[in-house]
Amino acid sequence: MPVLEGKELRIVGFLCNWCSYGGADTAGVARAGQPTDLRVIRVPCTGRVDPLFIVKALLEGADGVLVSGCHPRDCHYSVGNFYARRRLEVVREFLPVIGIDPRRFAYTWVSASEGQRWQEVVQKFTAEIHDLGPAPRLEDAKPLLRLADMALTSLHPLGTGEKAALAELKEAIKQKLPELDFVIGWQEGYDAAHTVPLFMKTPEDVDKLVWGPLNVNNPAVYLPQFKGKKVGIVVKGCDSRSIAELLQEKLINREDVTIFSIPCEGVLDMARVNTELGRYTKIDSVTMDEASVTITADGTEHRFCMTECAQGKCYGCTTPGAVIADQRFGTPVEVTPAAHTPPELAMLDAMSLEERMGFWKAQMERCLRCYACRNACPMCVCRDYCISDSREPHWMSQGESARDKLFFQTIHALHLAGRCTGCGECQRACPVGIPILALRQQIARAVGKLFGGYQSGINPEAIPPLLTYAVEEPHIHERDW
Amino acid sequence: MRIGVFVCHCGSNIAGTVDVAEVAERARHYPDVVYADDPMYTCAEPGQAAIEQAIHDYKLDGVVVASCTPRMHEPTFRRTVERAGLNPYMFEMANIREHVSWIGKDKEANTNKAAELVLMAVEKLRRNRPLSPKSFEVTKKVLIIGGGVAGIQAALDCADGGVPVILVEREATIGGKMAKLDKTFPTVDCSACILGPKMVDVAQHPLITLYAYSEVEDISGYVGNFEVKIRKKTPYVDWSKCTGCGTCTEKCPSKKTPDAFNEFMGDTTAITIAFPQAIPKKAVINAPYCRKLTSGKCGICAKVCPTGAVDYELKDEVITETVGSIVAATGYDLVDWSVYEEYGGGRYPDVITALQYERLLNASGPTGGHVVRPSDGREPRDVVFIQCVGSRDRSIGRPYCSAFCCMYTAKQAVLTKDHIPDSQSHIFYMDIRAAGKLYDEFTRRAMEEYGTNYIRGRVSAIYPDGEGRYVVMGADTLMGEPIEIKADLVVLAVGIQASAGAEKLAEKLRISYDAYGFFMESHVKLKPVETNTAGVFLAGVCQGPKDIPASVAQGSAAAAKVLDLFARPQLHSDPAIAHVDMRRCVDCGKCIRCCPFGAIEEVNMRGVNKAQVIETVCQGCGLCVATCPQGAIQLSHSTDNQILAEVNALCRF
Repeated sequence: MPVLEGKELRIVGFLCNWCSYGGADTAGVARAGQPTDLRVIRVPCTGRVDPLFIVKALLEGADGVLVSGCHPRDCHYSVGNFYARRRLEVVREFLPVIGIDPRRFAYTWVSASEGQRWQEVVQKFTAEIHDLGPAPRLEDAKPLLRLADMALTSLHPLGTGEKAALAELKEAIKQKLPELDFVIGWQEGYDAAHTVPLFMKTPEDVDKLVWGPLNVNNPAVYLPQFKGKKVGIVVKGCDSRSIAELLQEKLINREDVTIFSIPCEGVLDMARVNTELGRYTKIDSVTMDEASVTITADGTEHRFCMTECAQGKCYGCTTPGAVIADQRFGTPVEVTPAAHTPPELAMLDAMSLEERMGFWKAQMERCLRCYACRNACPMCVCRDYCISDSREPHWMSQGESARDKLFFQTIHALHLAGRCTGCGECQRACPVGIPILALRQQIARAVGKLFGGYQSGINPEAIPPLLTYAVEEPHIHERDW
Repeated sequence: MRIGVFVCHCGSNIAGTVDVAEVAERARHYPDVVYADDPMYTCAEPGQAAIEQAIHDYKLDGVVVASCTPRMHEPTFRRTVERAGLNPYMFEMANIREHVSWIGKDKEANTNKAAELVLMAVEKLRRNRPLSPKSFEVTKKVLIIGGGVAGIQAALDCADGGVPVILVEREATIGGKMAKLDKTFPTVDCSACILGPKMVDVAQHPLITLYAYSEVEDISGYVGNFEVKIRKKTPYVDWSKCTGCGTCTEKCPSKKTPDAFNEFMGDTTAITIAFPQAIPKKAVINAPYCRKLTSGKCGICAKVCPTGAVDYELKDEVITETVGSIVAATGYDLVDWSVYEEYGGGRYPDVITALQYERLLNASGPTGGHVVRPSDGREPRDVVFIQCVGSRDRSIGRPYCSAFCCMYTAKQAVLTKDHIPDSQSHIFYMDIRAAGKLYDEFTRRAMEEYGTNYIRGRVSAIYPDGEGRYVVMGADTLMGEPIEIKADLVVLAVGIQASAGAEKLAEKLRISYDAYGFFMESHVKLKPVETNTAGVFLAGVCQGPKDIPASVAQGSAAAAKVLDLFARPQLHSDPAIAHVDMRRCVDCGKCIRCCPFGAIEEVNMRGVNKAQVIETVCQGCGLCVATCPQGAIQLSHSTDNQILAEVNALCRF
């Protein structure tokens, strides 16, 4: 619905029934004059406010969103606002990465007796939104396509894993195989330059197992559907983090899974490899030395140096060895810890809000809505019940708009808040190469910042930060009003 | 769907700044709206009748009323549509009074906003589903927190009505502040004489269980079935053996123990019984002053106790009780008046609080009822009373009136004259607030019969004159001149605030409190006893300053609410609770982990685990809905689709 031309902007308020809605009533009874822009949606508790409502409103045309609830410790439901505070902080940190000014969203606490405070909050927030002006629309953004700078230094030596203890691993799997239903790994795929998942049931299957920088898939994605079966799995460090996270969420049972680990020296960015190879009819050979992979296609040699062509995630990887494993092979890879911003995120950080919106508009117009990103995600547990396909609840249309597609990415990213281990499968699986991992990385960065450096997929015993709360949040600095 | 919209004028309350006819006209074009009207008073009988008529005439299956806040009349209109045969949940309200007409003057903007709020309500209503409440059993037992006069009254009324009562009192004796008073206004009858029998009734009533020297530690559950953990603090005396004979207090060598009951106007012993009429009359050891407990040497009380009740090893005990309802009656404390440097900031021994003066006047007080100066024990001649010390003072964040100080100051002036016939009382006041029955007559008596010198004005400084008296400098604003009085004793009518720990208790009860710690009633005028948490009621000063008659009245009112609640054979739960769509649930357990009430359990459905809501435990907060990634759990009446419909109504380009 259009706003009153020239007079008003569109501000959506989510107010808890018990405190802030009552506070707004108290303000009304006291005739505490307020600007007319705000429209209030009454919810039982701020804990009911799915952060996605906020992004939805802002993407659909709201110029500002205000959430208000009971003061901490005063929640009608005891703790709803404590959970809300964490979730609302995460979404506020997320907004800028898609080009929305985070000042367009605020949350606060107003009790039913604080009519005057409510008046002040509304006056102040409305004035702030008017200062910002009407929100830029994704439709109007200037499309911008830009590639991330991939000239990066790595926190650990990158290589091809030529000296990996593959033979020992195979022997160990063969020994363990009788106790297991199968073991998941990788095998050569439709040509020597690509691998596909391998499900090993017999010793002959084990002989097909390969190890190296072409093992890009995350085999952990298969584990939840085999919950209850005895499954072995060969993992890279990043894959093991997915397992840790799945264990944390009890989506798999520890006793059912046997984890075989070899330290990982990095995997190739297949999008860049395929671009370099171009159209070809036949892969003649793939050879590796310690530092590079040489692929000969249609008689032409292409040399891919690992330090140049690894996946973006590999440069900042701090867990080349598995975080959790039953059998480890080979010598651990040493990591030199240092500050690191993933390349796509660094690219977005360097953009203005306007450019980011233009960037996502351009990228989302390329999105096919194939949902390969979702299907490749090991943490995407809804499977056949994804809300993007659902009418009950009906979060998304089936339309073709960039807005809807960006909203799906937002849903995925926010559903992964405190859960995404950064395995990058979403981005790798994207057939048109949209750098969607950056959205998840932004969330992971926010979670780390807000919750004391929390990293998901490290400790299966840790409590996910968005499924708990602290009465006093040491790392959350609420705004003053 | 066929929706009817009623846009209320509310007299001129709404129609004054909103073009209600225009709002109704716009509503006629909203989806599914088949009827719209703008009645003068929708909540009045003709207004409600018109809704019922329209439901029949236009075969409506949903109604939107745009009027005041749903916190006011949602229940009213739900009953209205129910009378006309609709499910009460096929109704929505748009708040165009508190949220529109009363806060904005721009009629065009207001009208547009009101129309949009109606659209939001229509869009939500289109996704409403009929809901029916579930009934559940009630534990017919009440917890009363606080044993002052309000709590005592509530306890006795509940117990007389046949309801078992758990009365929890923080101090070692019930009676509260009233037990400390000497006489009460406006009748000047003895406080102990009117309160004492009620205290004894509490002790003797078969349906009242008294936990003195105890505090509420934790409260869980909901109306009808609260589970309460009560910490019985150790008195180091086995109360089942203690007869209250007082031998221990006579022999205790630690005679310099501050006497809290006497407002620190004298000393008592480390083992003590607060006052002769204490209920329960049991000894308590004040641990930091007990020689045995601090240094291990002494043990005299244990030796002299004829029943062997003293037990230095006795520990706190936590007990659990299940109750159906709770009355909070936690009273008040005095404001910290030492912030007032002009009154000496607490350094002058003869500048005391009115409650301390009350103990001096009291025959069972530290001076045996002789009014003497704490500094030298001399009888005062000139007594200056200063009112509004920490009341009606924005500079210390206490802008409210403490309600009863005007009256007790008049009473204390009268009593001073009774005690010391040649004394003269002077009262500095801001206004005399004597609005109760026989109150103004009483203050007039203080002035006319007792010759009290009432001075309208404030005191700017008190300082010792070097000869044992105090100079009180002030202004007489009626005469328009400064005034100086030499006083032997200065009594401050110190204002009140919510009792220490009130906020913490409010958090346990899940009720609101205001900026001063007073508990919030459900509605300032129409629900002064109820809170926003069903089954929790308020009595006495914990809700706001009030005198004894008003506290007693509210105690009885709270008891009436409890009896009303328990008179129903069963309670009905709000059907706006969460439900799991079993097909969508993937048993990730996130909802179970978050639920503040433990209202979601895992059940096995044909071999697979699924989440399931325990209907009588769910309180409808919706935290689980915001947690479930696949939207498998939905809160009835606030589903994702309903909130999205409201968002979309507002935002869609």
